[in-house]
Amino acid sequence: MTGDVWSFSENAAVASEVALAAEGLAPAVQGGPVVVEVGRARDGVRGGGERLVLQGCPQDGPAEALAECISRAAKSLGPAIILVGATREGREVAARLAVKLDVGCLPEASRISSDGKTVSAERSVYAGRVSATLTSPLPCVVTVRPGSFAKSTGATGTVRNYDAGTPEVRVRRLGSSRRETGSVDLKSAKVIVSAGRGVKRKEDLPMLEGLASEMKGALGCSRPLSSDLGWLSEEHHIGLTGVVVKPDLYLAVGISGQLQHIAGMKDSKVVAAVNTDRDAPIFQASDYGIVGDLYQVVPALRKALSARH
Amino acid sequence: MNVAVCVKHAVDEGELRFDPAGRPLIEGAAGKMGAFDKNAVEAALRVRSEVGGEVVGVTVGGADARKSLKEALAMGADRGVHVLDEPHLLNPSRTSALLAASLREAGQFDLVLCAEGSSDTYSGLVPPMVAERLGYAYVGYARKLGVTASEVRAERSLEESIESVASPLPAVISVVSEANEPRYPTLIQIMQASKKPVAEVRAQDLLSAGGTHSVTIGSMFAHSTDRKRIFLEGTTDEAAAKLVDALRKEGVISV
Amino acid sequence: MQLFSSEHQSMLKSFRPSDYPEHMEVLSSLGSFMESELLPRSSRFDSGQESIAPYRRRLMEHGICAIPFPREHGGLGLPFLIYASAIELLGAADASTALSVEIHNAVAEGIMRFGSDEQRSGLLPLLLSGKKLASFALTEPASGSDARTVRTLAERSGKGFTLNGSKTFITNAGEADLYMVFARTGRGPSCFIVEASSPGVSVGTPMLKLGMRGSRTAEVSFRDCEVPMENLVGAEGEGIDYATAILHGARIVVAALNVGIARLAYDGVMRYSKTRTAFEKPISEFQLVREKIADMKTGINAGRLLYYYASCLKENGQDYSSEAAQAKVFATEMSLRVCDSAIQLYGGYGYTTEDLHRPWRDARLLTIGEGTSEILRLLIASRELARAS
Repeated sequence: MTGDVWSFSENAAVASEVALAAEGLAPAVQGGPVVVEVGRARDGVRGGGERLVLQGCPQDGPAEALAECISRAAKSLGPAIILVGATREGREVAARLAVKLDVGCLPEASRISSDGKTVSAERSVYAGRVSATLTSPLPCVVTVRPGSFAKSTGATGTVRNYDAGTPEVRVRRLGSSRRETGSVDLKSAKVIVSAGRGVKRKEDLPMLEGLASEMKGALGCSRPLSSDLGWLSEEHHIGLTGVVVKPDLYLAVGISGQLQHIAGMKDSKVVAAVNTDRDAPIFQASDYGIVGDLYQVVPALRKALSARH
Repeated sequence: MNVAVCVKHAVDEGELRFDPAGRPLIEGAAGKMGAFDKNAVEAALRVRSEVGGEVVGVTVGGADARKSLKEALAMGADRGVHVLDEPHLLNPSRTSALLAASLREAGQFDLVLCAEGSSDTYSGLVPPMVAERLGYAYVGYARKLGVTASEVRAERSLEESIESVASPLPAVISVVSEANEPRYPTLIQIMQASKKPVAEVRAQDLLSAGGTHSVTIGSMFAHSTDRKRIFLEGTTDEAAAKLVDALRKEGVISV
Repeated sequence: MQLFSSEHQSMLKSFRPSDYPEHMEVLSSLGSFMESELLPRSSRFDSGQESIAPYRRRLMEHGICAIPFPREHGGLGLPFLIYASAIELLGAADASTALSVEIHNAVAEGIMRFGSDEQRSGLLPLLLSGKKLASFALTEPASGSDARTVRTLAERSGKGFTLNGSKTFITNAGEADLYMVFARTGRGPSCFIVEASSPGVSVGTPMLKLGMRGSRTAEVSFRDCEVPMENLVGAEGEGIDYATAILHGARIVVAALNVGIARLAYDGVMRYSKTRTAFEKPISEFQLVREKIADMKTGINAGRLLYYYASCLKENGQDYSSEAAQAKVFATEMSLRVCDSAIQLYGGYGYTTEDLHRPWRDARLLTIGEGTSEILRLLIASRELARAS
């Protein structure tokens, strides 16, 4: 079948990535890329091709409302493929869309292709140990793993408004507090120093931040430090349920290397690890390993970095 | 309050083996209850202990899936529903259609609890699909729950914010793993779980309740994790210097 | 490390095919509990940074002690083999905790077999659920393998007995709520339950040990300690027979514990030998390393089969004293060899890293405790000679 390839994410940065995926896919289905926006077109969203702005729905509408508006537009405009950024909100939008439109849904795609009849998506499963290719007939909804595509630099084409009406919303927002955020952008960092449970106290994190900044890198962490202990915000959390990164250097400090963590960093160019346990699984996923206490190794690394070479 | 909790018998990713060509041996691979599903069961049990009622565990899968259902029963669920299906046919659309249909048959539920995602595929699509199919409200990624007779209040853990919401009942809720610390069933509870009632339903008997789309798995390959695995030995200072040297040679640090 | 390994599962299945699913669930649940709660802490227990007490308590609440006891006493009514297998898992997860639990449960078995109805109904539910911790006090400073020479005295007094004397190398000393004490009355060595809180009970400072450092070992002394008549276990003068019977069963469990320790060492070696390189290839490629791996694996499986067999004889009510001793002699000596080979393969790291030599240090106790290898060989030979006549 032929038709356009729509892209959507409520997160502006992710929206530009999904837009690039749509641009790549559009020729295969003999359609154009369409960036779907709700309420108004956001300045921060880049993407080649048409801009479809759905009127009626509040821009920061809950996923329930976003899905309803997009499905109304899709039912009348008939896109071949709808790509949705696989954020926590986006997954709900995609799931509801697939059910409303009664079409298949391919999850967590990192690469997407189409032969004009079907769409195939590559994704990673089993905590990153396996790469799988899934195929669904068109039309189809695909959720796109953030960080898998670069941001589009395409120029906006025509803007089309579509009145999607104001859908009913059942879940009321009572309040929202932004997570503590630094200026972390792990996805674009060339070097990431990542902290794990081997770090004994929150007060010790500056030592690792220091190492990261001396390597011109950023600080990340494994799940326990962000989700369980709350020492760092969720955007530092690297792993299956957090951010997926692929820096030039990933230095895991005091991280044992559970599969869920490896899933978030396995595509790094070079991986190095420091851990007291020689048998820790992180060493299996590393190029270089130092068996030792991070409280001795990290200062030694900082010293070695500052030494003349 | 009638609470359903959905659990998945997932491939134990840590135990997965591969054939010489790098294809995972999915058939016969060891399975276990999804790591995050235990948090959903725990959340369901806590709702029951706060407001009373019944907890029904629901799973979709092959005969093996009974193990995960029994684990939910051992943890404290009152009864179970096992939708028997061929695991290789399952995709989020089909699983959610089967769950929704079996929940409609199994009773009137006020709350349907799910994990944020399964530990094997982690797509996070089934819970909102179930909500959409049942016409229930949906609250995703809850890390705190407060339930009254008519409403559920939750704190949602999103990427950049924490959001407080109120939702009418019935609702589908997915919980994140930091929501709670799942209990371990005692050995006596494990043995007693065999005696709790489990209704078995065949997928083909439910399917008329909702169409699903064929998603086919084209290929699966082991992710190559070819790493050098070099241990840098010596005193701490020597090992650190060797690492810095190696990283400079790799050209991955510019200092 | 997966404690309840697929190999373990299939061996169990071959011994007890019909009850397999239920046993499997019990052991998998225990295995995953130990993997997440004990195994990661075993080096902290060893170095004294953390106490085993809260984890031992949770493990007991989970039901490990109840496994082989009848349901009417708060047990699960499962075969002894399943209990011994559970201790194998625990031996791999943390040998100190395994030792502590094993001794505690040996006392519970003694009460079940030789105690009065009141002792059984009063104590077993508390012991099996972990609400109370027990300790076994037989050995004395001057009386080890020759238990019949026990010198602690129990003299008749008012409503019971008055105990005077000292016991040494007592596991769980100072932590236990009750001691099973063997003391001499006019009719010979007899068995008593002594509450730890009784006046006259004192516990020495914990002993510094080579291994099993997570478990507490100390001297326990009794000075004019009054024990009521109802705390006499069984008949006066029968104490040594009871102790011997209790130890026969405990030896099966100690064998299982040592198979567990050996598995821990073996598991580490398997990972290490594939990743450690020498002369530009993994050391697992060298034939002399392969010889060690083959011997380790064969020893572990042989040890397991011996304790499985002794467990089955015990369940069936047959004489198992020789087989239990065989299992213990073999498994304890095997685990020492396996752990020693592991240190050899780790080289300098093996000698200098607490975590790598801990299995050897833990295993070293059990060719001595609960019947030395030498005494047990005498037992095996005399039993077999008697059977042959």
